Amino acid sequence: MSSFTPYQNEEQSLAIDDMTVENRLDRITVYGSVELTRDQSGLQHARALKEVIDAVVAVLEQDKNLPAQVELKPTDQVKNPFA
Amino acid sequence: MKECDDARFFCFFNALNMKLTKLHSLVGLTALLLATGCTAKQPSSCTNHFWEGQAPVITNPNLAKKTAMLCFEGYAVMHSGISRTPLWSAEHLTAQRIEDAQQLKRVNSFHAEEQLPTADRAELVDYVRSGFDRGHMAPNGDMPTSNAQYESFSLANMIPQHPKNNQILWEGIEETARNMAREDKDIYVVTGPIFEGSNLERLNGRVLVPTFVFKAIYDPVRKQAAAYVTPNAPGMAYQTLSIAELEKCVGMNVFPKLPAEIKAVKMNLPAPRPHGGRGGKNKPVEVDSFERQ
Repeated sequence: MSSFTPYQNEEQSLAIDDMTVENRLDRITVYGSVELTRDQSGLQHARALKEVIDAVVAVLEQDKNLPAQVELKPTDQVKNPFA
Repeated sequence: MKECDDARFFCFFNALNMKLTKLHSLVGLTALLLATGCTAKQPSSCTNHFWEGQAPVITNPNLAKKTAMLCFEGYAVMHSGISRTPLWSAEHLTAQRIEDAQQLKRVNSFHAEEQLPTADRAELVDYVRSGFDRGHMAPNGDMPTSNAQYESFSLANMIPQHPKNNQILWEGIEETARNMAREDKDIYVVTGPIFEGSNLERLNGRVLVPTFVFKAIYDPVRKQAAAYVTPNAPGMAYQTLSIAELEKCVGMNVFPKLPAEIKAVKMNLPAPRPHGGRGGKNKPVEVDSFERQ
């Protein structure tokens, strides 16, 4: 898990219970659901989630040029080659 | 034969279907040639993913250009060098496979597909800052081994999918398919994009964005089949179609060995339940047709 450096690549995908965390250059995508049960696995999931969130917050807080909103690369339109 | 613009449902490919009707005999011949060609190129490990060992057959000649079939441990895929996406991904799901998949949670890596020529394949950079998810067609959650999971992260298995579709409604549809495999022990699934309309959106000048996504399911226990269709867009609206209805719209024969009488009757598909019914007021809603976007 320590290898998860947020916003550093477009490759990594982590599973925490039924939650998915994906590393992208412009965002960290987190979706799904996780049960933080009051047991060993709950603690493990909670720590994994905290580790990701802490790393994300640290990177964002250190970024002095954080824009109000991330900029997307525009798409273009082409004639449907399958029609 | 019902036409695709039948009032009962909205079809994504009205113009195409008119063309297909005119070109009926040519299309039939193309389908036959394609079927033969695919069978010849098909490595033996591929056949387990298909009902009766027969891969889907593309009947729209435009869709069949620059395609390559790849076989992986957990799925087979037909990749298009034109859209740089899959056109279909096929899987055979069993109760045991889903149980194995459930117990296997790990770190994984999205990657370009090295087996494809560089000119034909998507690269990770194509999706950078696009706002689109890399949406699995054969889902990671169906993959029973580390190797199968890794292979499911190939970009040959990915479409540019709207995050609000991929992460919520579509995830619910994937989970519904897994539940069917858990209950009936054995289902065949073909998942793919639909490219509808005269113009398409494109990422990085390379990867085409589908307008809809389908998941076709055959349940050999019930001897029934049907398909879910959703727009590749935010929202909770989905359609269910018979396989016959779907095939007319998508320009491919998804289960070539399935008898016409099974294809003609729509299996009753359960309503998707994203993340076990969580998600508040926004519940999936089945519709007869989609609003034009």
